[in-house]
Amino acid sequence: MTQTTNDPRARQPRFRGLEAGHRACQGCGEALAARLVTESAGPDVILTNATGCLEVFTTPWPQSAWRVPWLHSLFENSAAIASGVEAALKAQGRRSKVIAMGGDGGTFDIGFQALSGMLERMHNVLYVCYDNEAYMNTGIQRSGSTPHAAMTTTSPPGKERMGKRHLKKDLLSIIAAHHIPYAASASVAYPQDLRRKVRRAMEIDGPTFLLVHSPCPLGWGHDGSETIEIARLAVQTGLFPLVELERGEVASVMPLRQKVPVSDYLKLQGRFRHLFVDSDHRAREEREHLQALADYNMERYGLFGDGDDPFDADGADTVRRGGPARA
Amino acid sequence: MPITMNRGAYALAGSSLAFKTGTWRSAKPVHVHAAAPCHGACPAGEDQQAWLALLQEGKPQKAWESLVTSNPLPAITGRVCPHPCESACNRGQFDQPIAIHGIERWLGDEAIRNNWSYPRLSGEIRPERVAIVGAGPAGLSAAYHLTQRKYNVVLFDSLPEAGGLLRSAIPPTRLPRSVIDAEIGRLLHTGIEFRPRTALGRDITLDELRSEFDAVFLGVGAGKSRHWDVDGAVPADLHEGLALLREWLAVGALPKPNAVVIHGGGNTAVDLARVMRRAGIRDVHVVTASGLPGPDTDPDDILNVVPRELEQAIEEGVQFHPHRTINRLIMRGSKVVGVEMVRLKKLPDGSGRKSRVSFEGTETVLHVDMVVPAIGEVVDASGLEHILRQRDFLPVDMFGRIEGQPGLFAGGDARDRLKAYPNGTVSAAIGDGRRAAEAIDALLSRRQPVEESRPSLPYASLNLSYYESSPRISLPTLALEQRNDNAEIEGGPNTAQAMAEAQRCFSCGNCLACDNCWTLCPDNAVLKTSEIAKDGSHYLFDYEYCKGCGLCAKECPCGFISMQAEE
Repeated sequence: MTQTTNDPRARQPRFRGLEAGHRACQGCGEALAARLVTESAGPDVILTNATGCLEVFTTPWPQSAWRVPWLHSLFENSAAIASGVEAALKAQGRRSKVIAMGGDGGTFDIGFQALSGMLERMHNVLYVCYDNEAYMNTGIQRSGSTPHAAMTTTSPPGKERMGKRHLKKDLLSIIAAHHIPYAASASVAYPQDLRRKVRRAMEIDGPTFLLVHSPCPLGWGHDGSETIEIARLAVQTGLFPLVELERGEVASVMPLRQKVPVSDYLKLQGRFRHLFVDSDHRAREEREHLQALADYNMERYGLFGDGDDPFDADGADTVRRGGPARA
Repeated sequence: MPITMNRGAYALAGSSLAFKTGTWRSAKPVHVHAAAPCHGACPAGEDQQAWLALLQEGKPQKAWESLVTSNPLPAITGRVCPHPCESACNRGQFDQPIAIHGIERWLGDEAIRNNWSYPRLSGEIRPERVAIVGAGPAGLSAAYHLTQRKYNVVLFDSLPEAGGLLRSAIPPTRLPRSVIDAEIGRLLHTGIEFRPRTALGRDITLDELRSEFDAVFLGVGAGKSRHWDVDGAVPADLHEGLALLREWLAVGALPKPNAVVIHGGGNTAVDLARVMRRAGIRDVHVVTASGLPGPDTDPDDILNVVPRELEQAIEEGVQFHPHRTINRLIMRGSKVVGVEMVRLKKLPDGSGRKSRVSFEGTETVLHVDMVVPAIGEVVDASGLEHILRQRDFLPVDMFGRIEGQPGLFAGGDARDRLKAYPNGTVSAAIGDGRRAAEAIDALLSRRQPVEESRPSLPYASLNLSYYESSPRISLPTLALEQRNDNAEIEGGPNTAQAMAEAQRCFSCGNCLACDNCWTLCPDNAVLKTSEIAKDGSHYLFDYEYCKGCGLCAKECPCGFISMQAEE
């Protein structure tokens, strides 16, 4: 498609790695996350993509929404492909950064061994996992990342279980155990923080890892307009703490200012609807369980710092005339 | 969608831009510029949000120029207005309202200090002549707005100086004379012909004016005290409140009783009470049928006084008796020795109209040797007899048009109280002058007058996640022992304070240029452009690709984006 210089799309004051016209659902958190990540990474990158929603909705034959080199091979080998690309670039003496991407299915479960190998071999690759907490592309099956008690098509609530029986895998700790220079969690609700973390990872020569919480309106059962609201509540309730780890040690956390009950987060989503059935005594029990998990996160990461912090969850995304207040 | 094949019959990769996801949409985001509540509440018609936005951009002179498009006297109103804008401010529900009056005053003072002049508006010079009677706030505002619209304006006043009650009824402790001189001087220098010492009924008649001019605006004020007695009894040495205040302002004379009761609940009553208290009168009582601000008081039943003035009066030792009236004068001969008060309240009667009901058995006595009524004023009929026809005020519509008198307009304290446009304040008079100027311009241009009316943005339409609490600036106030008859009691903010306070504005209903919609659109369907966006924002929706998810509308902090169903 030709663009004239009068076209405002051609004159946007930011780099667009992911262009319009992709087929993501309305209000897709993953599309937003990928847009923000590629924007901050800039044009000098090569992307590899595991199978998943992101791969499908950005590249319907014969089009591509990507404006940077992009490769897709299989579900399980995004990290392996990235390792190879990085090694090839190194051999050629080129310095383009390689970014491997995958969903939580391709990262927590199917592509995990390739990822672990990539980290262990210390490839200069940024791995970004867009975490929407289930296999959304194939029809909302549970993954290792699905939170406890969430409903998916393979963890339906009923007489035997209240949604997923098991816990969300603590992937970040496993990644950190590889003793890599930088690993962090981020959220689409905090774009300034996400951009900062991408820039930080891009600067590092070595393996880095970013876990980006990306709500899925279809799979989580909420309106597309509520994606950011829900992502923000996940952080504010303590269920998805935003942390940075360097060589396995916690380097910083985004502090919380006030305690928000997990119910505020859960009640907006269809996947937790069964936790609000008053006649079922297990509903209360599971809500309390999720609250206890949030409390555990707060304690473990010390999410309540002393006083107001310029980078805390209430202050991080505030705005003023002309843009973000703390860009 | 054409697909280009290469020789091996592989399709060449194309951009997804060829796929217009806009066809998925069932609702589209649109920019809706709702009125900020401050704007909706302003009797003068100022758009505070608009000029605060310019201050946020660091452009004080532009902010002042925006302000004076509706109100030419901001240094004055910033001091004396009861600021309904601040009561309406959405920020009041979040932490504390913006100190709009303080910033307005600072802008007004900056303009005086830097000698800024009113913006010159384009437009053809009009041959028509308009007479304005009364150089108080209403007349000055009408004169200003008509001059801005290039009419020939002649402004008449019976006194030697312009200003009306700004000079004759407001103490310098609230409004320094230098501020009046500066702002009114600037206003009169815009090409207005000012004829002082010219009284209606004495030096000119209304008929002469109506034949000589194309339109006449009456901003004559309410100069005659309302008749007051208690069951027919009136003390022999009765002084009316406004007359006492005027005399004190003009020559500094004040009666010195031991104890005085002032009957009334407006600025005149409170100003006079404070002046008398400072003059050393031991007991100064104010008896008013209205209530003091408090949780139990109906908002429309509160004393009609600037809230901080009331606080200062109480600090200074004025004794208020709310929800009471004077039931009986206790006389020894023709001299007052006390008053009997009774409690009352405004309550709805059988037909639902509110009227005052006094409660038997609640009578109490105050020992005073002077009673001063300050229950309000009515129009002085001199020269207006056949228009007034025994009425207290001139009957007008919202544009100041007097019923059955084409070409004759009125505003300010001289007009009837309209439900949607209450009068009795300087700001209301300024608003009257502005709307009357619009109506006069419309009449002389043979069109219908228009007044902008947009719904105000409710608090619930803001996304508060994007704002942080920050305290309102506190303005310096003279300590009790330093207060005298001349020094201004409340000070203004300094530059840093004013600029910081402006940053607290939520920008209700208008674009904050915060980039949220641009940053958070998953589909790259919001474009940032200051050149093409013509609605005061910096953003365009690209409806070719917008899927209508509504994220931008939900995450717009200011409620500037609404979702509109597609047809």
